[in-house]
Amino acid sequence: MTIELILDGKRTALEILPGQNLLQALRGASRFSVKLGCETGDCGSCTVLLDGEPVNSCVVAAARAAGRSVTTLEGLLGDPLMQRLQRELVDKGAVQCGYCSPGMLISLYALLKQDEAPTDRDVREALSGNLCRCTGYVKPVEAALAVAATLGGAS
Amino acid sequence: MNKVVGTNVTKIDAVKLARGEPVFTDDHRPPGMLYAKVLRSPHAHARILEVDATAALAVDGVVDVIWHRDTRPILHTRAGQSYPEPSPYDTVMMPEKARFIGDRVAVVAAETLIAAERALDLIEVKYEVLEAVTDMDEALRRTDLLIHETPDPRGISQAGRSNLAAHIDKQVGDVDAALKTCDLVVERTYFLPKVQASHIEPHVSMAWVDEDDRLIVRTSTQIPFHLRRMLARILEIPEARIRVIKPRVGGGFGDKQELVVEDLVSFLALRLRRPVRLEFTRHEELVAARLRHSQRIVMTTGVMKDGTIVANRMHVTADTGAYGSHALTVQGNTGQKVLPMYPAKNIHFIVDCAYTNNPISGAFRGYGAPQGCFALECHIDEVARELGMDRLELRKKNHIRLGDTDPLSAKLGEGKEGLVRVVHSTSLEECIVRGCEAIGWGDKRPPTQPYFKRGLGMALAMQGSGIAGVDWGGATVKLNDDGSVNLTVGATDIGQGSDTVLAQLCAEELGIPYDKVLILSSDTDFTPFDVGAYASSTTYVSGGAVVKAARRLREQLAGLLGTKWECDPGDLVFSEGSVTEPRGRSMTMQDVALFALYEAKIQPMATESHMSNESPPPFAAQFADVEVDTETGQVFVRKFVSAVDCGTVVHPRLAEGQVEGAVAQGLGYALWEEVLVDRAGKVLNPHFLDYKIATALDMPELVTFLVETSEPSGPYGAKAAGEVPIDGPAPAIVNAICDAVGVRCYRIPATPERVWRAMKEQESS
Amino acid sequence: MWDLKEYRYASSPEDAVALLRKGPGRGMFIAGGTDLLLFPPACDFVVDVSRAGIDRLAATPDGDLFLGAAATLHTLTTDPLVTGFAGGAVSHAAAHCGNRPVRSTATLGGNLCNALPSADMAPVLIALDATCYIADVDNQESIPLVDFFTGPRRTVLGDRLLVGVALPAEAGRRVCRSRKLTRSAEDISLVQVAVALGMEGGRLDQVRIALGAVAPVPLRAGLAETALTDLDYHSDCTAAVADAAEIAAGECDPISDHRASAEYRRDMVRVLTGRLIAECLDDLRRGGNGGAA
Repeated sequence: MTIELILDGKRTALEILPGQNLLQALRGASRFSVKLGCETGDCGSCTVLLDGEPVNSCVVAAARAAGRSVTTLEGLLGDPLMQRLQRELVDKGAVQCGYCSPGMLISLYALLKQDEAPTDRDVREALSGNLCRCTGYVKPVEAALAVAATLGGAS
Repeated sequence: MNKVVGTNVTKIDAVKLARGEPVFTDDHRPPGMLYAKVLRSPHAHARILEVDATAALAVDGVVDVIWHRDTRPILHTRAGQSYPEPSPYDTVMMPEKARFIGDRVAVVAAETLIAAERALDLIEVKYEVLEAVTDMDEALRRTDLLIHETPDPRGISQAGRSNLAAHIDKQVGDVDAALKTCDLVVERTYFLPKVQASHIEPHVSMAWVDEDDRLIVRTSTQIPFHLRRMLARILEIPEARIRVIKPRVGGGFGDKQELVVEDLVSFLALRLRRPVRLEFTRHEELVAARLRHSQRIVMTTGVMKDGTIVANRMHVTADTGAYGSHALTVQGNTGQKVLPMYPAKNIHFIVDCAYTNNPISGAFRGYGAPQGCFALECHIDEVARELGMDRLELRKKNHIRLGDTDPLSAKLGEGKEGLVRVVHSTSLEECIVRGCEAIGWGDKRPPTQPYFKRGLGMALAMQGSGIAGVDWGGATVKLNDDGSVNLTVGATDIGQGSDTVLAQLCAEELGIPYDKVLILSSDTDFTPFDVGAYASSTTYVSGGAVVKAARRLREQLAGLLGTKWECDPGDLVFSEGSVTEPRGRSMTMQDVALFALYEAKIQPMATESHMSNESPPPFAAQFADVEVDTETGQVFVRKFVSAVDCGTVVHPRLAEGQVEGAVAQGLGYALWEEVLVDRAGKVLNPHFLDYKIATALDMPELVTFLVETSEPSGPYGAKAAGEVPIDGPAPAIVNAICDAVGVRCYRIPATPERVWRAMKEQESS
Repeated sequence: MWDLKEYRYASSPEDAVALLRKGPGRGMFIAGGTDLLLFPPACDFVVDVSRAGIDRLAATPDGDLFLGAAATLHTLTTDPLVTGFAGGAVSHAAAHCGNRPVRSTATLGGNLCNALPSADMAPVLIALDATCYIADVDNQESIPLVDFFTGPRRTVLGDRLLVGVALPAEAGRRVCRSRKLTRSAEDISLVQVAVALGMEGGRLDQVRIALGAVAPVPLRAGLAETALTDLDYHSDCTAAVADAAEIAAGECDPISDHRASAEYRRDMVRVLTGRLIAECLDDLRRGGNGGAA
């Protein structure tokens, strides 16, 4: 079946299978920042924004995205907030293997869009769906709080 | 002096990774690529008599189905180790007998993933179901039920005779005699679970045959060079026909120190002349990748009243599962990496490692040491309690010190006799002081709820830096026109940052800025050999090769300039991107390059190899502050402190990252992680819903100190950092639980129910 | 990959039921999809109800709260209508369901219709006397939520659609707390308990104790509720609370599985019930809802 959606800001037609998940559909559309890690909605490597909210694209049916807006990291590369998050993750040493980084970035972006003054706990809640086996989360959390501090709402 | 070593340069691949660039194995899709899927055995032990793929092949898009009749039974080991591998040759590509639930039965190749998955459901298999043995003690007893009937051609395992996959019995001194002289003998038994590395990127490989009829394998691996050799054996083609490319890897932690999928995609690519890709599901990761060996460890320790440890025996019984990759060496490490912490005069180390019809165990960060460290460091607390001595004092009195030798290492090398180890660098004493201060040792904070109790615990750990006399790597450095250099290494960056660290060492040695080093790693056609990313070897061993190669390049340039400037080449100073001679004349590295390439007309370039006969131990002192819910048994770690001696720190942030990540994995080992296998050999929790690894919400406050030393044999004084910090968390936490509520969990993970049960048993006794 | 033949979109509850019944083959409703895509059941087609107009949250003039079945769990954690009801107990339960990205799409209806014994939203809603509304092609029926579940993964629905649940205004004035016991921070419930206490002239009234993950279906601990009813909550209630907790533990029927033993689950019902009652009593004495934490 074919669905139409707004993919990274552009009206796009995607050829999908009825039971396919959004993760596979997006990788099929060359959105390689969307990573496969578990396909059970637990690891968050495939996190994208669906109508602005972070979702695990592996447990969202691709067909469900019809008529909606889907944003991947590829679609946010020019976004100033995303660029700050990327810079801070890189500078703080929060990128080790980097496989979970795109998903983490999407989750943190969604958090900071909704809350400019998150606490350590808020950041951890926002990252609760992004499993990282390399960092122990210390540096990703540090990086997120550092970006939040520049947004003027440090807490 | 150039200052690159010791600084937090930008990790060399971090920007592209943070941009989500298509740099991992599966981000590349060659045209015409087929999807492979494995049909796995539903039986723990069964002969595969017949596979009928008629219906499967009729599915639209299905191209091929293979099973054991289509392959030749070449015995090999899938463990990625130096040749000759100290692991039994007990594996063939497609077995005639399934040995665990999840063993390979057939493989489908199809145009689409869904076609491959549909085909799996339609393959009909005739099995002769055999009695399965999943209990390691029973497996060791049973000689009438052999999991492997074909003898191991190299005699490492007792395949064909019994289910003993590996056996070790090594002694220093005489433990039995010494125990009789001791004031106190304490014996306890500890139980370690099967856990899984859970790198977020699954195993994934693709292979194709190129226009020169060569097999190209793009794969997520820690061991590209071992893989090439192993594939050549299994596929019966020369190494020269194989090129292994390692792109960015999404974590490995030992689980990719193994050939897990590469043989299948390679075989199919050669057979079908099409690119073939195979990616594990998370379910497959948990049933058919590799696990940390489960073990039972009996510790027997004899001490004198003053706390002197006189004799120490560790008896390990381990379950390697269906195949014996890393069976001998992981279990060997359980003692060899751990027991030297307390260099008693009498040490006895015994291993019996069983084949069972359980999922396969293998390498996982720490490589046996987390098991041994748990047993030993819990046991030290138990000994202290029985002695009535402070547990910190008991450790201080006995732990290994500068200049001490480690006689066990001589008895136990990589599956053979090893080399005597002497400690030439250690800051363990300072690590203990710093850690105690940070955790508030002796100054327990009050619990935060009336039904909580609070406790502190600690553990000491040591590991190695590469395998002495075995691990080695090569490096090539080549100067370009603009003063940049190409650094090519076989060393394998799997996310830990080795490309960055090696580039730093190269820049430091050449006196050039870090961003002038262009590193290419792990492509068997283009880089020198390296054993790969394991055994905490990369910074120490491969780094040694990089420093040597850079030094030789510098000597070449010094020779050229010495002639040009008529000065002693040894007087030239390479720093800040320039070369300066004593009278003050100076050239930028770019001008040096232009001179070499266009006037002297030579390519300054050097290749060096490095191997070390030492494996200097990094050390760690780790401390936990926990609260225990006395009614539910839940454990909340409030703070975790690691003080680590990894020699000179090349990149502080990356080194801290190694510690923090290892602690997160160690915390999981202590509290949540366990691959549960039932009596029938079936994994009960093959997904992250039930196999819990730490989330951001699970992590306590982490405090990490890097207490530097300078290791004489290491590049710029560096030792390893990657493994040692995973050893201490489990014993430190379990010791803290014991401190809080007075009960010991001899079995980890210390789940709420296990802690609750231990408290109930104590109440009723 | 889920091998579906067709994906249909419903525009209304009635349309959804009609599309499901149209066949051919076996169909299922899908909303967020976070459970269905996880372990895809064998079926031929699905009917997407996320556009069927059943995702609204609404309060009636007399204070009843209606929660549309397709409302996401994230909406339940943040919407003021929900955070302001019964001290935010429903929001609290929703916030502990799955992880953040799962809550963005997972729906209330999905959590209930999936009917796992451990369904995270069931105990708190049962403790607040939720009624569910079920649509057929030409009529709607309402039944108490506690009667909605008929067994593990089984409900009264058949081929009808859950459109939402309603909570009575009176329940919104109870003090209510819920808690789930897990192995790690984010996990399937080993045990879930929700307690709601109303008051009438200094005494407990409308006592509700609901349990999850400790029986084939979520249930009320009726005997424990009775034991607490009419208790003077300004007196020393320690013994009464311990008794009620003990009684509740006797009312559940847990299983042993790889996550926990029946013995442990039963004792945890006692522990959590006791703690929650005590905390609710403290809230009452302080004169209201102390929040759900």
